Amino acid sequence: MHRRLHWPQVALAALLCCLSCGCWARKAGASADTGQGKTLTLPIRSAGPGSLDPVRGSTTYDSQACSLVYETLLQYKYLKRPLELEPLLCVAMPQVSEDRLVYTFELRQDVFFHDDPCFENGKGRQMIARDVVYSWKRLADSGIGTRNWWLLESTILGLDEWRGQQNKNDSFDYDAPVEGILALDRFSLQVTLTEPVQRFLYILAMFQMSVVPHEAVEFYGETISRHPVGTGPFTLAEEDWKTSKSLDFKRNGAWREEFYPSEWMERDEERGLHLDAGKRLPLVNHIRFNCYVQDQPMWLEFRTGLLDYAQIPAENYIDCIRKRTHQLKKAYRDEGIEYHPVPLLDFIFRGFNMEDELLGGYSPQAKQLRQAISLAIDLEEFNNTFYNGQNIVYDGMIPPGLDGYPEGGRCEASYTGPDLARARELLALAGYPGGEGLGKIDFYTSLAANSQEQTEMMQRQLGKIGIELNAILLEFPQLIEAINKKKAPMFSFAWGSDYPDGENNLALFYGPNRSPGSNHYNYENEAFDRLYEKIRSMPPSAARTEIYATMRDMVLEDVAFIGGMARTRNYLSSARIRNFKPTEDFWNWPKYLDISPSTPAN
Amino acid sequence: MWSYTARRLLYNIPVYLGIVLLLMLALRVNDPANAFLGKNANPEDLLLIKERLGLDRPFLVQYFDLLKSVFSLDFGTYSWANEGITVGRMLRESVVPSLSITLPALILTSTVSITIALISAFFRGRRIDRALMVLAVVGMSVSFLVYIVFGQYFGAYLLTRETGYSFFAIGGYESGLANWPYYCLLPVLISSLVAMGYDTRFYRAVMVEESGRDYIVTATAKGASKRKVMFVHMLKNAMIPIITRIMTTLPFLIMGSLLLEVYFNIPGMGRVLYKAIQEQDFPVIQIFVAIFAGLFILSNILTDVLYALVDPRVRLS
Repeated sequence: MHRRLHWPQVALAALLCCLSCGCWARKAGASADTGQGKTLTLPIRSAGPGSLDPVRGSTTYDSQACSLVYETLLQYKYLKRPLELEPLLCVAMPQVSEDRLVYTFELRQDVFFHDDPCFENGKGRQMIARDVVYSWKRLADSGIGTRNWWLLESTILGLDEWRGQQNKNDSFDYDAPVEGILALDRFSLQVTLTEPVQRFLYILAMFQMSVVPHEAVEFYGETISRHPVGTGPFTLAEEDWKTSKSLDFKRNGAWREEFYPSEWMERDEERGLHLDAGKRLPLVNHIRFNCYVQDQPMWLEFRTGLLDYAQIPAENYIDCIRKRTHQLKKAYRDEGIEYHPVPLLDFIFRGFNMEDELLGGYSPQAKQLRQAISLAIDLEEFNNTFYNGQNIVYDGMIPPGLDGYPEGGRCEASYTGPDLARARELLALAGYPGGEGLGKIDFYTSLAANSQEQTEMMQRQLGKIGIELNAILLEFPQLIEAINKKKAPMFSFAWGSDYPDGENNLALFYGPNRSPGSNHYNYENEAFDRLYEKIRSMPPSAARTEIYATMRDMVLEDVAFIGGMARTRNYLSSARIRNFKPTEDFWNWPKYLDISPSTPAN
Repeated sequence: MWSYTARRLLYNIPVYLGIVLLLMLALRVNDPANAFLGKNANPEDLLLIKERLGLDRPFLVQYFDLLKSVFSLDFGTYSWANEGITVGRMLRESVVPSLSITLPALILTSTVSITIALISAFFRGRRIDRALMVLAVVGMSVSFLVYIVFGQYFGAYLLTRETGYSFFAIGGYESGLANWPYYCLLPVLISSLVAMGYDTRFYRAVMVEESGRDYIVTATAKGASKRKVMFVHMLKNAMIPIITRIMTTLPFLIMGSLLLEVYFNIPGMGRVLYKAIQEQDFPVIQIFVAIFAGLFILSNILTDVLYALVDPRVRLS
């Protein structure tokens, strides 16, 4: 028998189906409550870290994750600005010999590695000086794919030679001694430098210098990147790292006694950042990092209360910040959201290849050509158009906040634009009146978000004095390769300081660092090089700052680049989070964060 | 039938070998070791890293090595960007999230599109047909990205803010059937909505073409009901283009929907490949593309075989 379809019944069934559809719905914000006590949910604005092996990590995201699990001998004081170092795995700051070559560290005796199957009975053992020696030697082992040898290159006595020898051997002998790194006893370490380089202390606070137990490296082999075993306040089990999705860090219950800092800046008191002074760290039980390849989901999750802080995506900036005053809009303030602009140690520039036939060279005409180009560029227009006017445009290569940054960001030696009359004059003096006979200049830049538009603006600005640009947009690795091979006469690039010392940026112009090194301009100036070698070993002082300024002005006079600019990263924090003082110069600060007791989902 | 299948397979082997050869050449235009070491690379390290990664071996050795791993399904090579994870593990972990979106989306899209196409063809030239086709054209004229951005904003974010309940996740993925509607239903609906416009128009054209054939007239003349003519006679005979359409989408099911996975934070194959390309993760790109090419060729062969099954004349031609 043929059964007829009864449409009212079908409609009713469909309705019931629709009604039942809502049964999976969850209470908004509920996913933040994991049932593991105080939980922070934080964003990583990428697909996440690539490696949690400190010697192989290199990105900000690697640093973000490694800094919760691993620890270094020194760290930055959380609340102090400008940045100041303090001991972390040491009892005190190292003793430094008079010639500033020998550093002696006394290690803390209450530092233990995380409990892990790589240890006997699964119980984390005490960290000793030999672990530090072992961890630093790993930076020299090219066979394990280290990306960070440059941190110790030409720094520690005998280490470069030792590395050369070991890398030639079939296997790397970590027990072979290095003249400059000695474990004096279980908790004392002595390091002898090749020359008294000031940056050494900053390097000791970088996550790549973290201490790793040899048992973990031997036990996990190639997969050590997925099994971090450190001494830090949090642990990360392999199953808690869901590649490209999330990382769930759990409090290390056996962590030694560490306390919230008792030093802060005066303005921190207004925000109550001093209130937890003396409390035992970490302040939360669980930190979950969610990874976001696109900004929209990150932003929407923050607005729904699923994230405790977020960076403001460029397209949402005017939704929440008043462009004129750079203040957070009332609607957001009413929700308890706070705004934290974080200036970066950034140097965005347009560089010249000083070895290029057309744009390079040090003859008066060559300099005048570059000076003319520099004077035709209006960086403030770039800033207002592409960065909401939030960047700091400054003269030189040393970013704001560091010694050597010019007062008010301006210095006389600079050929800062726009000054079209002078630019035309210099262009004529260089032998190209109105740009005649110059031809198109190849300008290499990366295929980033708005590079095309930025390049068009530059073409328009230079067009005003008769200079034509031929834009070549490349993926970042290809751009690097073109610059390393000295193919790019003019290029756009950015440099984020590795540590808070202008020396790091001045090194970009040091002759021996020319391409494929970090001196992408292939700048050669003997006087500059001599001064650089001098300041490398000078501790911070007025005399050193003066030399920084001299060096900066030398490069500005030669116009090896146009710039610079430093970006500001805009953070918003939810009403839930406490003790939030973000920085991108170091990443171990989530251990100081807490959750406000008066908000839900604790 | 077996000889036909074997013949199709044999024809496609040189095609596949050529694709893999081109793929390997394309990936070696720029030195992959440079990308691995990044901004602080020096020439000695480059040499050492090439040795470690096996990039210093002759090209042909690398070529046969890749073929061997594809044919033996042994993807034990480690990813560069996700250290400590083999490409095989990345594949295993990302296939299910991809299929959780693409398979239901395909079923939903095909069912609804074929039904709408039949209705449209049935009412051909009438107001309902025109209305459906206008909707289909409007639907396919809007960018996929717009559907995703608006779908995520209204469906996941605004709904949650307004009701206090989260019906759909803004992003993320958890395995398990109970979690499926929360994490996957919205992307599936968006994906289906986007594909429906194209598919409906295509299937309608097929149905309209079939509706003019002699056998339809014969069936109608013999007194078969309109429903029987459409769902029994016409649908069966329209299966070849429908099969082709569905079969060609099969490799894309496995590779996932890149945009959906990126916006909804679904750790599927599309997202993994996107990330790998961004990070110049050489082993992952190489193996994923080789697999995709293989799947594409296999689905073509499968389509041909199904043709031959549905319509034996294909074998003869």
